[in-house]
Amino acid sequence: MMILNRSVIPIPAKDLLFNLPEIKFLKLGNGIDISFVRKEKLPIVYSEIIVFSGSRFDPSDKKGLGYLTSLLMDEGAGEFDALQLSEEFEKLGSVFSVSTDHDTTIFSILSLTENFERSLELVSKVVLKPRFDEKDFQREKKKVLDRILQLKDEPSFIASSAFERRVFGDSYYGFPEIGFAESVAKVSNDDVKDFFARTFTSSNAKIVSVGNLEEIEIVKLFNKYFYDWTSSSDNYQRFETPGRKKTSYYFIHKADSAQSEIRVGHIAQKRNANDFIPTRIMNTILGGQFSSRINSNLREKRGFTYGANSSFSYYKEAGLFEISTAVNIENTGEAIIEILKELNGIRDHITDEEINFARSYLIKQFPSRFETLNQIAKNLESLLIHSLPTDELLNYTNKVKSITNEEVRVSAINNVLPDELVVVTVGDREKVYMQLKQIPGAEPIELDLHGNLLT
Amino acid sequence: MAKNLLKINYEKYSLPNGLQVILYPDISIPAVAVNLWYRVGSANERNGKTGFAHLFEHMMFQGSQNVPKEGHFKFIQEAGGSLNGSTGFDRTNYFETVPANYIELALWLESDRMGFMLPGLNQEKLDNQKDVVMNERRQRYENQPYGLAWEKLFSNLFSPEHPYSWPTIGWMDNIAKFELDDVKKFFKKYYSPSNASLVIGGNFDRDNAKELVEKYFGEIKGADAFPEIETPLQSLNESKKIIYEDNVQLPRIYLAWHTVKAFHEQDAVLDLLSDILTSSKNSRLHKSLVFEKQIAQDISSFQYSGKLDGSFIIASTAKPGITLEKIKDEIIKVIEELISDGITENELIKAKNNIKSSYIFSLQKIDLISDHINHYNFYLNEPDSFLFDLSRYEQVTCEQIIDAAQKFLTKPNVELNIIPKAMR
Repeated sequence: MMILNRSVIPIPAKDLLFNLPEIKFLKLGNGIDISFVRKEKLPIVYSEIIVFSGSRFDPSDKKGLGYLTSLLMDEGAGEFDALQLSEEFEKLGSVFSVSTDHDTTIFSILSLTENFERSLELVSKVVLKPRFDEKDFQREKKKVLDRILQLKDEPSFIASSAFERRVFGDSYYGFPEIGFAESVAKVSNDDVKDFFARTFTSSNAKIVSVGNLEEIEIVKLFNKYFYDWTSSSDNYQRFETPGRKKTSYYFIHKADSAQSEIRVGHIAQKRNANDFIPTRIMNTILGGQFSSRINSNLREKRGFTYGANSSFSYYKEAGLFEISTAVNIENTGEAIIEILKELNGIRDHITDEEINFARSYLIKQFPSRFETLNQIAKNLESLLIHSLPTDELLNYTNKVKSITNEEVRVSAINNVLPDELVVVTVGDREKVYMQLKQIPGAEPIELDLHGNLLT
Repeated sequence: MAKNLLKINYEKYSLPNGLQVILYPDISIPAVAVNLWYRVGSANERNGKTGFAHLFEHMMFQGSQNVPKEGHFKFIQEAGGSLNGSTGFDRTNYFETVPANYIELALWLESDRMGFMLPGLNQEKLDNQKDVVMNERRQRYENQPYGLAWEKLFSNLFSPEHPYSWPTIGWMDNIAKFELDDVKKFFKKYYSPSNASLVIGGNFDRDNAKELVEKYFGEIKGADAFPEIETPLQSLNESKKIIYEDNVQLPRIYLAWHTVKAFHEQDAVLDLLSDILTSSKNSRLHKSLVFEKQIAQDISSFQYSGKLDGSFIIASTAKPGITLEKIKDEIIKVIEELISDGITENELIKAKNNIKSSYIFSLQKIDLISDHINHYNFYLNEPDSFLFDLSRYEQVTCEQIIDAAQKFLTKPNVELNIIPKAMR
């Protein structure tokens, strides 16, 4: 018998061919765009109605209005009150949800194909005919206010929202979607109805559908239930780009914290920037996956944390570069110093080997982004939200292949800006303040729980 | 239609060293899932040494004789794959999903740490992962509101010597004290082919997979069998109440009762009971406490069952100004009403539909299917149990639900109150 030489890493015999599922770009009779992918393996369908309405449309004294509106949409619609409506979905075993962020409110439905039409009919009632009954409004508003109270207990939420407040300033991305106790208290049911009438319109909507139905059937069903959706004039809300600021260190006191939550980063380019792909390759090396520099350093080398990562995420009008981690209290200062080192380091040098690894990672994992209906839909959704060209997904792999190593290095210089950082720490003042103070150049500034300067 | 979908065509066999192998080919997808279960979890630990099965899982990613530290992640990620592991009371699993042409890489990596983990071990790696795990404990439990509830609950529901009485992550002072020798002993006792089952699911050639399994796992030696954990089912003679102060704004109550093991005939009944109580807006407890009376911010319930024992848990957060007494009284009242007045056929059908749909939805991911096959193999010794599992739910009657509520939820319980620090 041959003795196996285990020190040799197995090499795959041949490259795998992957065919992107065919994406159909269709239109309803009333002009709404539908992106559709047919997937036949299982008898299920997933659909999303994306409405370009979210907290960016909140009036400045009523932050949280969009969020509360989204919660109320499925609390009774058409002929059904809140309990009856829920009952109708429950009978079908369909999974319906409404989610919202700054830019969009998304109605999603996953159902068996045999129950799809009835599910879609119910969704159309939610989207077109929400009832906004006063008693439901009072109940849900109270629930939001109590949820806001509970968020005081969540260091991770406090850190992220204060970080975005400092990065985005007074622009609409600088405030949490859920709003604040004072601002939600001011919201009336009439505000909700008005918000709905202004922004939940067909001219503000797009549809994504994936699953086991024919194209013709999908168009027919959506036409049947969404044809009467009223349109509206444009109500674009301009994004006020915050000014550039030099690196600042902030902290929020949270007594008895078991760890320090840390966020570091700054505003970034939009999703449709020319160097999106080189930036993605660069971030894969910096902090975009387990073997990245930041996680290897903070977790696998120093044991400061259970995990640390960096990401570029994209709102419609701006990007966000963010390093996120939670560390042992004693290591708070050191952890931030190591993060700063990594940010300078990625601008300073990236090896060909690292780039080859990241390129291989991004190209070969691409097919796995199309396994479930939900995953496929999320890919289509991002094309729609960021107005990307329809061949973006088709060309993705070739683009990743064709980026030069130099372009990756340049993207680090252009997109990682160690002199313009917002650094936020949430932890126990007594234990973290001196550590922050010892970071070269740091003058720690205390914030309240909302990320406002304490004066 | 649904019935055919849930029939899994698999092949199961064992290597001479005892490794169970289950092949589930599906060429309609471009990936292969490799999923390995070891029959060891935190239930195999003892007091003073808690958290070790989980810490050991971390050490399995620290390299082996032919794989450097961080190599496991790096090789799989470079191939475009995903990977992880998890530890429970009864078992530890490791899994990677890779593009189909990388099947051999995944098998090489899993076999190297199954057979040759110890040569890659050193003190520095252990110290590092102890720090990581202590930070995991802080991040996931200690620094989360209500984060310590489960360990408070289980350590009171089960007697101190029962292996479900300590948390899988372990007690902090235990984690700090582990030594290299602990790692070596644990590995030799539990990490052998005779204590593991390997599922390969997805796009692969059956004969080729068998050759590869033989090539990489065939030479690894089996270990001596170790005795099964024997522990009598637990019960409470009287109810217990525990109050714990935490960094929370709103108080939360947890009620826990002893029930039955996983796959016991009443296990599925209790799952459905949980659905009927809290899974939707119309569910009994949600409708009463959250929707109508608005005394609770949220409410949830679970039948949480393992190989040795099970429990039914209800958790609910009080609205500001509402006492936990009031929440508890209302919960008990709703349960009593359910027992005395029964449930409707409609409620049962909705709960069953919900479960049926979620089964079909879950068939979208080859890593989940593969893990489920191992789950069934572990608990039932039959990988193709999707249909059986679903039928457990389909056969349940309204009377069985009421009987289960009567039998378990009227017994003594453990009540945990998590209250704001300021409130005392």
